[in-house]
Amino acid sequence: MASSVLWRTLGRTKLLPSHTLGRPAGCTEWYRNFYRTPEVFGVAPIKLHMPALSPTMEEGTIISWLKKEGDPIAAGDPLCEIETDKATLTMDADDDGVMAKILVPGNTKNVRINELIALMVAEGEDHTQVDIPTETGTPSAAVDTPADAPVPTATEDTSSSEFSSMRHVAGGKGHVDLSPAVRYLVDSNGLDAAAIVPTGPHGRLLKGDVLKFLAGDPSSRRQEVVAPTMPSAPTPLAAPPPPPPPVTHPAVPPAAAEEDEFVDIPHTSMRRVIAKRLTQSKTTVPHAYSSIDCEMGSVLRLRKQLQGSGVKVSVNDFIIKAVGQALKTVPEVNAQWMGEAVQLLSNVDISVAVATDKGLITPIVTDVPSRGLQNISETVKELAGRARIGKLLPQEYQGGTFSVSNLGMFGISQFSAIINPPQSCIMAIGGSRVLVEPTEDGHTTKTVMTVTLCSDSRVVDDALASTFLENFKENLENPFKAALL
Amino acid sequence: MLSCAARLVRAQIQSKPTACWVVAARGYADIVDEATFTTNEYALHKLDEGPSQTVTVTRDDALKYYRQMQTIRRMETAAGNLYKSKVIRGFCHLYSGQEACAVGMEAALTPDDHVITAYRAHGWTYTRGVPPVNILAELTGRKTGCAKGKGGSMHMYGKNFYGGNGIVGAQVPLGAGIALALKYTGSNNVCVALYGDGAANQGQVFETYNMAKLWDLPVIFVCENNGYGMGTAVERASASTDYYTRGDYVPGIRADGMDVLAVREATRFAAEWCRSGKGPVILEVATYRYSGHSMSDPGTSYRPREEIQEMRKTRDPITGLREKLISANIATAEEMKQIDLDVRAEIDKAVEQAKTDPELPVEEMYTDIFVDEPPFKVRGTNPFMYGMSK
Repeated sequence: MASSVLWRTLGRTKLLPSHTLGRPAGCTEWYRNFYRTPEVFGVAPIKLHMPALSPTMEEGTIISWLKKEGDPIAAGDPLCEIETDKATLTMDADDDGVMAKILVPGNTKNVRINELIALMVAEGEDHTQVDIPTETGTPSAAVDTPADAPVPTATEDTSSSEFSSMRHVAGGKGHVDLSPAVRYLVDSNGLDAAAIVPTGPHGRLLKGDVLKFLAGDPSSRRQEVVAPTMPSAPTPLAAPPPPPPPVTHPAVPPAAAEEDEFVDIPHTSMRRVIAKRLTQSKTTVPHAYSSIDCEMGSVLRLRKQLQGSGVKVSVNDFIIKAVGQALKTVPEVNAQWMGEAVQLLSNVDISVAVATDKGLITPIVTDVPSRGLQNISETVKELAGRARIGKLLPQEYQGGTFSVSNLGMFGISQFSAIINPPQSCIMAIGGSRVLVEPTEDGHTTKTVMTVTLCSDSRVVDDALASTFLENFKENLENPFKAALL
Repeated sequence: MLSCAARLVRAQIQSKPTACWVVAARGYADIVDEATFTTNEYALHKLDEGPSQTVTVTRDDALKYYRQMQTIRRMETAAGNLYKSKVIRGFCHLYSGQEACAVGMEAALTPDDHVITAYRAHGWTYTRGVPPVNILAELTGRKTGCAKGKGGSMHMYGKNFYGGNGIVGAQVPLGAGIALALKYTGSNNVCVALYGDGAANQGQVFETYNMAKLWDLPVIFVCENNGYGMGTAVERASASTDYYTRGDYVPGIRADGMDVLAVREATRFAAEWCRSGKGPVILEVATYRYSGHSMSDPGTSYRPREEIQEMRKTRDPITGLREKLISANIATAEEMKQIDLDVRAEIDKAVEQAKTDPELPVEEMYTDIFVDEPPFKVRGTNPFMYGMSK
């Protein structure tokens, strides 16, 4: 119809009743609402805005949409997952309807509160015909309010993000207060302060806003009032790159405009915690290192023998057992530095370092001296398995009196590790290597492994460390003796 | 221009006689004026007979209840959305899902009866006669709010409606006090004191039961049992979840709180009991809330989403009433749809007004301190600031 353009414009204004959605069923006056049929007009949408899911939330990330366009929605259905500064929550639907258009896709960061993120239509409507508002937040701002001052509507969409409780302070008043820096910029560039969108508290114009305006960012311009004077010469500014305009939404981070020289891997909370603890340990605990070479011949032979009778144990299990016994013999090493005293611990719990995808975690094998080799082997396997899938209970990795870290399987010959406070030692096990030793009639080979004890020298000084390592070496090289005595 | 086009289209309709005929042949003749339903059983405690399970409702009443429940539902949804866009701050406890309790009880009471409830009070404020626009304006803190914007969500008052009380269980002794005043002044009215399943374990509630029974006060203690006290399920909070028996020597009734007619019938019975001087009654209404405890609680961390969805599908008070009315031919689906649209429009308008009405001026900080006191100087927020109370 030729008048469809007129109908469409009238429909967008408030001159015609807009509360009727589609054709009221059975109403004999349906022709009065003809303009609202999907054929002539788009279907009036139910707007979905970004909710503030916690009182302190200013912006959030839409992680994913749980409903696709065209999916039916029942009241109470989860629509999308939103990550706030505190937690990830879902946004629920209030009404029944059909999802019509998703305006902000999943994985978008920094979506401000009250931004339009999607459109829904009521049940029974055609969702493909939905009328997408062209301006966010104030679709009626375009034509129908020539009598209203343009300033209050502009303040409405800028102040809706922050400081929304000050909406009655008209935006025009904010421009009366210009700080000296802002006033200088405005005057020296011949700008009209009313043409720049203020983002400060109470509608104040900030220096950043003026700089954005000068950089030519379209979002910093007021939409109703065209700036009467453009900057005469855009002053070369070391301005920050313009942030993504809030209206259009490909989720492009600002840095993508420049060359991609680096990749940021954001911190997981586990990495953050590990980093904090390692830094604290290395900076506050005085580390001392002592190394010793252990002959692994007897251990390897015994292991093969056990394998022959069906018992599968690894070299690491022998090491853990040997450490446990050594700690019983030299109990001063099984200690912790407390504020006023060195606390000798009675239980020997050894934390075994396990590498997982998410980082290094140390499940604890409790009371090692009372366990047999097979028991230790099974426990370690089980704990490591659960650690890799992230199913350890807190008491299974918090605590422990001594740590053991083995990098031998990666080919490392010797390394030093960082102590896990409040423990006082960590033993770094390297890989075995074969050495050739000359004898009177030729040579023999022996398999040797380097072990480095990193200790807190406040508790375990070099002398004590040497005693401990001697004991450990003794236990490891004579496994039978250690088991029997 | 409009009328030309309308005439053109109307002509087209008239040229299609069959369409017109179909439109005119809607079955209004089938609509009845009254219908009878059977409610679920009531559980009784220390009562020989209880409310009748056969309930009758007239067409006007039915549509009124439907409209009231729909208004409360839409108003609470609007309040939730306003809170999420940070127009309402502070506390906001929503009544969605529990509408049948307020509407059903109000249907059995008169405006001269008194009501006091806890903080989930928006629905009750509406049924007690405050228009939705004043409720929403109170939530957004405007002058036109029912407490001038000074109270907010938890301090809304109306005629014979005492709020809106923040402290858990504090309103129950107050309710008994109101009933004492009613008995003392010889009026024939009752006081309804509402509390939740969480507050039912508070000590002062039992002290109140004692005093009410001792002096035969005309108070109906209503326990709105929505299954969760904040996030704690009733099984984990109460040794006995039969809240209607908790009064021991006070007779009790349990009614289905999702059926507005059952609630009305039970309240009628309870009000008659109290008015005849037989003393207090406990009425437990088994209901459900769809939203969390308040706006800071998503409501899904202590109960599965499927449970909420199921309640919405199978036991929603509004859809329940709608189905009943349509199946008994009291009203048509179109009528109810029209009511829905009208209510939606009304609430949308109220929301707009609540967002744009003026806020209180600062001078109002010093007013409404005492009743009937001549103006005096009131200290402000620091020792050097003063205002005059009015």
